[in-house]
Amino acid sequence: MMRRNEAIAALAAGRDGAISVTAMQAIAAWHAAGQGATDNLDALGCMGSASSLGLGIALARPERNVMVLDGDGCLLMQLGTLVTIAAHAPRNFYHFIFENGRYETSGNQLLPGFGRYDLCRMALAAGYRQALSLQDVGELKNALPGILGAPGPALICLGIAPDEPAPRWPSVTMNEQIQALRARLPLERRQGAKA
Amino acid sequence: MTNTTTTASRASGAEKSVASSTSPARSLDPAALLAAMRAVGITHVITVPDTHQRTLLALLAQTDDPKLITVCTEDEAIGINAGLYIGGARPMLLIQNNGLYACLNTLKAIPLDARVPTFMLIGEHGRDVALPSRENPDLSVRMLEPTLELWKVPFFRLENEMDLSNFERGYKRCQEQGGPLAVLVAAPTGAAASQTNRMEGRT
Repeated sequence: MMRRNEAIAALAAGRDGAISVTAMQAIAAWHAAGQGATDNLDALGCMGSASSLGLGIALARPERNVMVLDGDGCLLMQLGTLVTIAAHAPRNFYHFIFENGRYETSGNQLLPGFGRYDLCRMALAAGYRQALSLQDVGELKNALPGILGAPGPALICLGIAPDEPAPRWPSVTMNEQIQALRARLPLERRQGAKA
Repeated sequence: MTNTTTTASRASGAEKSVASSTSPARSLDPAALLAAMRAVGITHVITVPDTHQRTLLALLAQTDDPKLITVCTEDEAIGINAGLYIGGARPMLLIQNNGLYACLNTLKAIPLDARVPTFMLIGEHGRDVALPSRENPDLSVRMLEPTLELWKVPFFRLENEMDLSNFERGYKRCQEQGGPLAVLVAAPTGAAASQTNRMEGRT
């Protein structure tokens, strides 16, 4: 297993201009890694919605990769999202699951059934084009360019060691992030840019 | 029998109720609603299918203008709506009253807290149009207006063809002010094509 901050550092290094949507415990670490200021949306107060936010962006902006940094508890809260994402099959959608089997934010309580289900197999059964489980940060670093270079939707489960809850990030509001994204994205479209 | 006294046409949950000046229809014209969507430039309709609006959904399924996105839950619909909005699209939701109750936390976080324009066509599934919404025996129906008011979600009513202008009015207001806004569909949408050139007034 890897530490959350190690996984975040690897994802930050390999982001390659993707729009990011982050959830729960990934938020503070993503900001601390310098990834929160541009083309990022923190899914605040809506546990389980990061993947849907990312799907909407991916469908509206197919020329940009979208990375969703999600938690396993978040995914289980809205598990039907796997089916919805697979149904619309955005080739630019990459769904990273920080899988530690716990509700970390509320005090590290165990998820129901952890160890008995397989999120990657669920994603493939739902119709994702790629799904893989990575337990080592070296594996993640090596695999990331290939993952982002192949068509999505992809689900990547990252085995994360249980950790203390991250401090609440004093971030800008979701509204501020959304308006910043809306201001940048149409400008890029007019200029024909692709990150 | 007509109802002209308690059917609300409200611009805000906090505002005083204004009685509808028209009578509720037995059915609504799905083609007219599709035309209203196109008139304001809707690009995507995100739905958890609503029994009440099934014929409208059937029309939407036959076109890419706007695109129909069917999802599993109303939570997803709100998130996808926000993502599409971020990407420059002009999306809306088509759901039913029970679906609104199912997604209150997401409604709180994204449309209300983050002020994302979230325009919702909400079918009053189970509505007896002979009775005002708040006097319907079905709890799903009679709690809809109070729920929207409690959460300060402004809403308009679509009781019959005279209310069709509420669609455009509501959509524009939603875009200008941000946040959620609902248009409540009182009667089921009726048969498409030849039977939908006009809406039937209740007699």
